[in-house]
Amino acid sequence: MSLSKQDAVEKARKDLAQRLNVDASAIKEQAVEDDDFPDMALGAPEDGEMSGQMITSGWRIRLGANGQSYEYRADKNQVRLYKYKGKNYRL
Amino acid sequence: MNRNNILIHLALAVVLILIAAFAGQLNRWRTQWKHRVHMIPTAEKQRASTADEIALAEGRPSRAELLVKFKSGVSSEAIDGILERFHDRIEDRIENDPGLDAIDDLDDADVASTVAQYSALPEVEYAEPNYEIELDAVDAPPFVPVLPHDPRFTDQWALANSGQRGGKEGADISATRAWARTTGSDKVVVAVLDSGVDYTHEDLAPNMWTRPGNLAPYHDNELGTIDDTNGFNAIDSSSDPMDENGHGTHCAGIIGAEGSNDIGISGVNWKVQIMPLKFMNAGGFGTTKDAIEAINYVIDRKKDGVNVRIISASWGSTQKSRALEEVIRKAYESDILFVAASGNASTNNDRTPHFPSSYNVPNVISVAALDRNDQLARFSNYGVKSVAIAAPGVDILSTWLGNQYEEKSGTSMATPVVAGVAALIVAEHPRISVDDLKKKVLASVDPLAELKGKIATGGRINAAKAVD
Repeated sequence: MSLSKQDAVEKARKDLAQRLNVDASAIKEQAVEDDDFPDMALGAPEDGEMSGQMITSGWRIRLGANGQSYEYRADKNQVRLYKYKGKNYRL
Repeated sequence: MNRNNILIHLALAVVLILIAAFAGQLNRWRTQWKHRVHMIPTAEKQRASTADEIALAEGRPSRAELLVKFKSGVSSEAIDGILERFHDRIEDRIENDPGLDAIDDLDDADVASTVAQYSALPEVEYAEPNYEIELDAVDAPPFVPVLPHDPRFTDQWALANSGQRGGKEGADISATRAWARTTGSDKVVVAVLDSGVDYTHEDLAPNMWTRPGNLAPYHDNELGTIDDTNGFNAIDSSSDPMDENGHGTHCAGIIGAEGSNDIGISGVNWKVQIMPLKFMNAGGFGTTKDAIEAINYVIDRKKDGVNVRIISASWGSTQKSRALEEVIRKAYESDILFVAASGNASTNNDRTPHFPSSYNVPNVISVAALDRNDQLARFSNYGVKSVAIAAPGVDILSTWLGNQYEEKSGTSMATPVVAGVAALIVAEHPRISVDDLKKKVLASVDPLAELKGKIATGGRINAAKAVD
């Protein structure tokens, strides 16, 4: 699996629509930025997860729905939802 | 006496005082020089044997010359009688310390027995060898750096920083100096607990551990029997620790890419055995449970006789696991050092711990990262109580999947530098205990003002000091 930036945005959008139980068209793409994350879990480890402590380049994806903003983090290997209701999720 | 005469007399008095003071100092210098040349006579130095020169270089006395302090009240006649009895002579009488004599044994007996002979006398307060330490520095050979034949060595600023790409000359681990002493040993095994290792990489393959032929495949009561020919894979408990990410291969190259082989780079160790342990997947993350399984594998193999002395752990999180802490303690009890990344959140681990580096277990060394200017990397965690030492960790060139090389940054990269230096120490001191190994690593730093009050040792690892 090697994700492109667009693949990652689409995956994030679908995930958020599912979580919020809304149509994917209701999810707005607020910003997609290249960024460096502190580790290989993109600074968003799940419970019990350990990750390589190497600076990792990826994308910070901000999506909006129902007046709220949500942050996803992605690289070529993975997409993660950052601090959704206080927890991180790997998609 | 008029006013002018008074001034002339005063000036004369001042001049006389200055002359007297200068003469006194000259006398002191003369006395000191006399002692010095008497205790290290030029003629004797010239006729010194090779053994004597070696002894001098090692700070041992070159011959049976000793310092004897006679008790006050012992007459010079009594001293002369003793000297005659022992067939010795006074080499020099220390004028500033009555009763203290430098004595030469004309029989050339060994120093220890001569010292014992004098110490036993009731007239003697003490006797000791007269070490000629000064000659050590005079006779020390000039430092000759050892440079490997590796085409990309000049890009390895962590090992030899010449100021390349805007770096600070000398902001490195003094590897070329350490290599004058040792380039490592294929008797030392370092476990790289990571995403596995590309053990087919041409710069790593000669230094990869493989299960010795006399060792049976690994057996665990829960996992069953596993053919661990090339290492251990905890993710699916298979036999193949091949790296699918690159992170583990990068860390392995820092520790032990084969040195001076005309290929790529050089590891901190030119020769070593890297044991690949895979618990992180292609994404570079894994579970605590798999990390524990892999550490248990190392402990078991140590018990089976594999000389694995160090685990390099370039990973972590802020989540504490008691089970992980306990298995690291078990590794300590098996005499295995555990070198761990301090983390990349730019935070203070004293306040927000990062694990496993923050576990309070005696074999853990927590490592921060430095850039090529000896500055704490902008991402590096720190902590004067919880982070022990710093090492280069920015733009570090090392091995990557498919015979490639890449520059990466992180405390992940600083950690194998320290693990590699620990392996050099073990190469020099094969029987060193884990406690002494840790002490030696932490005592082998170049203090940096930048790190004062930020990490425990306040310094950057220095490989040359470590193997000295």
